Amino acid sequence: MAEPKYQRLTRERTPARFAVASIARSSLWLGDDHLLFVECTGYTETYKRFYFRDIQALTIRKTITRAVWNWIAGSLAAVCALAVFGSWRADGLDSGMAIFFSIVLLFFAILLALNNLSGATCACQIRTAVQTEELPSLCRLRQTRRVLDKIRPLIVAAQGQLTAEEVSARMLETIQAENPTEPPEPASPGSAPPVIS
Amino acid sequence: MSPLIQCPTCRAWLLEGVFNRPDLTPCRSCGTPLQVEVFPALFRKILPGQSAQAVLVEGESSCFYHPQKKAVVPCAGCGRFLCALCDCELNGQHFCPACLETGKSKGKIKTLENQRTRYDTIALGLAILPVLIFYLTIVTAPMTLFVAIRYWNAPQSIVRRTRFRFILAIVIALLQIGGWTAFFILIATSK
Repeated sequence: MAEPKYQRLTRERTPARFAVASIARSSLWLGDDHLLFVECTGYTETYKRFYFRDIQALTIRKTITRAVWNWIAGSLAAVCALAVFGSWRADGLDSGMAIFFSIVLLFFAILLALNNLSGATCACQIRTAVQTEELPSLCRLRQTRRVLDKIRPLIVAAQGQLTAEEVSARMLETIQAENPTEPPEPASPGSAPPVIS
Repeated sequence: MSPLIQCPTCRAWLLEGVFNRPDLTPCRSCGTPLQVEVFPALFRKILPGQSAQAVLVEGESSCFYHPQKKAVVPCAGCGRFLCALCDCELNGQHFCPACLETGKSKGKIKTLENQRTRYDTIALGLAILPVLIFYLTIVTAPMTLFVAIRYWNAPQSIVRRTRFRFILAIVIALLQIGGWTAFFILIATSK
């Protein structure tokens, strides 16, 4: 049997949000009728397939990862700038310390610029009838939207489409069908979920 | 699984306001900006499994595994007749449990394959990593060649299908072997 062809959707990313160096990498690929989630752990690759006809929901949540990296890189860049300034005042700009801290400062400045140029960070989850899977390779909002724009028409072609009103109505319908005497409770953190069998 | 969706941050049940919107909308409970794309599969009812029917008429085809049960479909792998209980549907194809198991273990059913070993990366790792402790290359260079040749035709990654890493590993290993050969020739000739 010929192997299916895949189109790359995302580059390899580490699953841990604040990891700098990690062996495990994950990426997302587009197949004919499914999304392929590839987790590479050094010398093996693990695959998870999400068929377009089975995808129930995609949840995108904006995260504070970019702000955290900005604080880290910004603080370290500021420390390096102070060190460069101190070395310059003490020994002049051509001293070894000043050159060293200038290079480190440049590194953190580039990191800061790249972090901001890549846009806001997010976390994305994909849900099917049997699992909810985090997609670590979709970690930037702009990139996630681009991927979503690419796969949405394929999912719609496989399943059809629902408007925002239809989704809300069907959810309330489901709750009321299961609990005909009780009105749906407003969403609140920690509250017991509506009873759905 | 319930057709309701929780906010990933506060775990509150999302009932309305955030679904299929073009932009991020704050969760009503915790305020986290969310975008939730919901598709009809969320509301699809999962049909209960069918029970196999008994053979009522003599001469009616029966299941290979349960001779007293009525056959409903042939297996796409082995062609044996299967009852509703033994019928495992996978992407529109019907398999018996044995073929499904064999297909998964031997990699015959590609859609069931969920792991592969990257022999090309192993070969490249064997070629490059020991360079840090140079003396190890006298052992690892032949090992690299063995791995590269032995697994040249082994299934590669599903998504990347070039033999570049194998070729690179072989080139590096040959250079290392060449280096060691030159070293030993130099020692032999200098004596």
